[in-house]
Amino acid sequence: MTGAALDDFRAGVRDWCREHVPKDWRPAQTGVPDEEFVAFQKEWFQELRRAGFAVPHWPREWGGGMPVPEQAVLYEELAAHDAPRLVLAFVSIHHAASTLLAAGTDAQRRRHLPAILDGEIWVQGFSEPDAGSDLAALRASARREGDTYVVNGQKCWASGAAHADWCLLLARTDPDAPKRRGISYFLMDMRTPGIDVRPTRQATGESHFCEIFLDDVAVPAANRIGAENAGWRVAQETLGAERGMTMLELAERLGGGFRRLVELCGRTGALDDPLTADRLAALEIELTGLRALCAKLVAADRPGPADASIVKLFYSELLQRITDLGTEAAGLAAHTDLRKPLSSGWESGAWPLDFLASWEWTIPGGTSEIQRTIIGERGLGLPREPREG
Amino acid sequence: MPADLSEFHDELRASASGLLAQGADWAAIAGAGWPGLEVPAAFDGADGTFAEVAVVLREIGRAAAPGPYPSVAALAIGTLDLLHPGPVRDGLLRAAVAGTAVPVVAIDAEGTEAFRLTGASGPDGARLHGSAGFVLDAPAADRVLVPALEPDGTAVVVDVDPAELTVGDRPVLDATRSLGRVAADGAAVRPESVHRFRVPDAPRRLRDRAAVAVACDSLGIAEAMLDATVAHTSVRHQFGRPVGSFQAVKHACADMLVQVTVARELVDAAVRAQADGGPDAAAASAMAKSYACTAAVEVAGKAMQLHGGMGYTWESGVHVYLKRAALNRSLFGTPAQHRARLAGRRARR
Ligand SMILES: Cc1cc2nc3c(=O)[nH]c(=O)nc-3n(C[C@H](O)[C@H](O)[C@H](O)COP(=O)(O)OP(=O)(O)OC[C@H]3O[C@@H](n4cnc5c(N)ncnc54)[C@H](O)[C@@H]3O)c2cc1C
Repeated sequence: MTGAALDDFRAGVRDWCREHVPKDWRPAQTGVPDEEFVAFQKEWFQELRRAGFAVPHWPREWGGGMPVPEQAVLYEELAAHDAPRLVLAFVSIHHAASTLLAAGTDAQRRRHLPAILDGEIWVQGFSEPDAGSDLAALRASARREGDTYVVNGQKCWASGAAHADWCLLLARTDPDAPKRRGISYFLMDMRTPGIDVRPTRQATGESHFCEIFLDDVAVPAANRIGAENAGWRVAQETLGAERGMTMLELAERLGGGFRRLVELCGRTGALDDPLTADRLAALEIELTGLRALCAKLVAADRPGPADASIVKLFYSELLQRITDLGTEAAGLAAHTDLRKPLSSGWESGAWPLDFLASWEWTIPGGTSEIQRTIIGERGLGLPREPREG
Repeated sequence: MPADLSEFHDELRASASGLLAQGADWAAIAGAGWPGLEVPAAFDGADGTFAEVAVVLREIGRAAAPGPYPSVAALAIGTLDLLHPGPVRDGLLRAAVAGTAVPVVAIDAEGTEAFRLTGASGPDGARLHGSAGFVLDAPAADRVLVPALEPDGTAVVVDVDPAELTVGDRPVLDATRSLGRVAADGAAVRPESVHRFRVPDAPRRLRDRAAVAVACDSLGIAEAMLDATVAHTSVRHQFGRPVGSFQAVKHACADMLVQVTVARELVDAAVRAQADGGPDAAAASAMAKSYACTAAVEVAGKAMQLHGGMGYTWESGVHVYLKRAALNRSLFGTPAQHRARLAGRRARR
């Protein structure tokens, strides 16, 4: 697409945003009961879907196919118009979709991708109390019995499990194999008997993540993704792929957060302070680098072995620095902002809460420490750290 | 510090941490004699210095304890000490030491708002105007000491019954703290309620004291978070090893210790300067406030990171410290403002 055509596209998105982005959704969504949050998120998803904006990163045949430059423009405009983020559908449209696309059978894709467009919500059931960074140590077991697997165990930190229809589940199918070779990957219907979901209260006061207790849960063998005991590879592939795609949107959203920070500093007069101006300029440089990197990564056929980790690490720590400066610059008044809208994710503009919530990015999906190890080992070929298994 | 004093501080620290661990309320704190640690024996105090108060302030930070001790001991008693003695002042000092009064100083913790007196202190008395947006522990106060300027610019302290003022609760993210907005809209002031300072530059000294008190609290926060992180990473196993044995984690903990150690030196120096009232007190307080309050946010943040998902839960309590550290950083001058003060001092020379 030429520059002029891209400008036209931008103008179209802008018009659409003006007309469709719900007005005053932040105050309206602040502190609402969960059901209202879910309904609002689902409605907004359908609004985006009607415009062709819900899953632009999916392949064309499944309802996506938007070229990367247009995606960047779309997310830039959504952020500029402070459109709600699809927090509820995050795992469905990114984790679940990329897993299905990379490793699913045709039948699995046909069953789930259209359903996701119709509003099916997914949760990622990977972590366990004793298997966090060391995910391969997971112990939830799946025992084959004819055409089904019987699953037992406990998952934790599962974001959005309380509202999920389906779960991406990792479970051990061979207890005797080396850690990574005995794991299989399943699609689990959250309405199956034996599943008990218990919300965990988190630092921000909300209960977004949950524990999932699995007691003799029957999962049809047809819902396994990839070969038996090959689940680890599927999980790795999809996690890496997912990071690149989500990051394009998140980087643009961070641009919105940065704009709010500049506005804040303008209001308080801090912009006239050369040191604040310097800090803001440094953040702007980092943000520009991040956006360029994300666009390139998403466009690349074959990302480098550490690219996803570089983006995840840089994004999450930059987010932390931006919200930290916002907290400092906004002063005591910002601390009286007690309830952030459920649907906003981190970028609520309630700086101390957003700063707190920035750990939602440096801990999950592989902590910053783990990312640095990956970058050192896969990106630079440094000798591996000694580790068991 | 002489050996006997350092021993005494260790004892005080141990008893403070023990009492705070039991969730000491105001009566218990007053009973322990903490409000009067610095006050002369003539006013029923323990005849100590700010150094002893600082020991308790640090333990309060370490426990992330609620309650008005920081504002009463650091600010109200500090203010009363800077006033000319007299029956009203002396009575209030004794009541504060005994814990029967909870006086709070209406200094705006953000430093933007202020009070002034109008009208001559004639038979009708003067009138008080102005406001302070964020006053630590205002909702708990039964006496409010309002720093104000007289029409001629003299700094005074007006002792006001909260009923004469508008005191509004301002809930903040840090649930361990209570802040309030205090406003006076022409409140009548009796002449005997207006107190003059016995030293020049008292308002600035008070702000320095407030800054050091918060730095003590932040040092306690950082110490607590370092301890908790070392404890957690020593027992939490991943990849068949305690996560603390991974160099990434170990180095992060080591950096935390370095920050805590440096913060401790700066805070100790600022506390000593407060106790002696030496010429470097202002610079020392700016250094302690800026460094310790920044370090506490970083250390508590690292603690959250190194606790993993556990640290992000409500029950872990790490968030309590992170919120308090972030609030402390904004109380009584931001790190940038304190650094600007330091830089300005150099520029003038
Ligand atoms: C907000 C939030 C949402 C989440 N959502 C989901 C979800 O939807 N689904 C899901 O499955 N999981 C989810 N998680 C879980 C997340 O992936 C784990 O918390 C994360 O992988 C860290 O594991 P852990 O909590 O067990 O920490 P630990 O592994 O115990 O780590 C503790 C500390 O040790 C460090 N460490 C551990 N091993 C090493 C090493 N080898 N080298 C260096 N440092 C190391 C870590 O970096 C960390 O700082 C979520 C977590 C959070 C906080």
